[in-house]
Amino acid sequence: MAKQSSKGFTKEEELLLQDFSRNVSTKSSALFYGNAFIVSAIPIWLFWRIHMMDIYSSLILFLAVTAASTYLLAMAYRNTKFTLKHKIAIKREDAVTRDLLKKLSDDKKMSKKEKDERILWQKNEVADFEATTYSIFYNNALFLTIVILVSFYFLRSLSPAVNYTLSIGIGSGLLALLSTGSQ
Amino acid sequence: MVKFLMLSVVLVAVFANSAFACSNPEVTSKYFTTQDATIVSHIGFISEFSVKCSSGQVSSLYAQLEDGSIIPVAIVGPQTYQVSWTEESKLAYSGQRNIRIFDEDGYTAVRKALRNNEPASSVPEFFSVSVNHSGAYNGPWVKSEFIAVVVSIIVSQFALTTKSKIVS
Repeated sequence: MAKQSSKGFTKEEELLLQDFSRNVSTKSSALFYGNAFIVSAIPIWLFWRIHMMDIYSSLILFLAVTAASTYLLAMAYRNTKFTLKHKIAIKREDAVTRDLLKKLSDDKKMSKKEKDERILWQKNEVADFEATTYSIFYNNALFLTIVILVSFYFLRSLSPAVNYTLSIGIGSGLLALLSTGSQ
Repeated sequence: MVKFLMLSVVLVAVFANSAFACSNPEVTSKYFTTQDATIVSHIGFISEFSVKCSSGQVSSLYAQLEDGSIIPVAIVGPQTYQVSWTEESKLAYSGQRNIRIFDEDGYTAVRKALRNNEPASSVPEFFSVSVNHSGAYNGPWVKSEFIAVVVSIIVSQFALTTKSKIVS
């Protein structure tokens, strides 16, 4: 960190970078798991009503696959958010600074350090919110596309139970795998 | 003696048949074909017709379908007859089908012609009825899952381009 700060990172930015750990807050985590659960459970309807799977006899399979998919999707959300948050923070930096400085310009009492901290905090909030929502959107869109494509076209001939397990597994597994990449 | 009796019975039957054969048949026909083929694999064709003779009676009738097969015609009411068959929905073309109807004599002649490897078309039919199949509904042109896939791919494409914009 010390080396990095000598390369142009200010102390505030270091503080900001510390916020960019893979660990997410409980609130964020709940949001991720809640979303992942909803998105993982939606295909049950597809396989129940369209592929004509019996909901009661396949209950255990539905629960197991949904649980696994929820875990994998939440992981994908987390990783994607981590990848994007810093990039978004950089992109939004100028706008947030300008906006906040305009707001705080009347407040003569506030010291520059305090203003910088406010900007940093605000930037972090904006980036966090944007990365969270975008990560959910991105992963949901890809997950549902993969599930529909795989279940209706590639694995059409297989039995619904196998089709369900594989299409959800491929969808969530692939996203979890891709999210571990740096880009 | 027995032989003579049998011969006379046959002769009487033949003469009786020809004497009471239907002449100048007046045919009115109606038809039905399957209109909705979304959940069926075969298209059903039914032709129902009534025959009025100026004199004589109608003997058993036989129908020759377009594919050449000959099937007996069912009697469904007084002077009312019905012939029905199915075709695979994929092969059932829309348009007119001409059904040749033979009486007992015509049927014998057709059988004879077929035995001699002659075309059945050489035998004149008793009359013919036509069935017009206007085509069956095979479901929408675009399946709903295709639309779902296209829409989700567009949304995913948007998500991917946005991501690459953010990352770049």
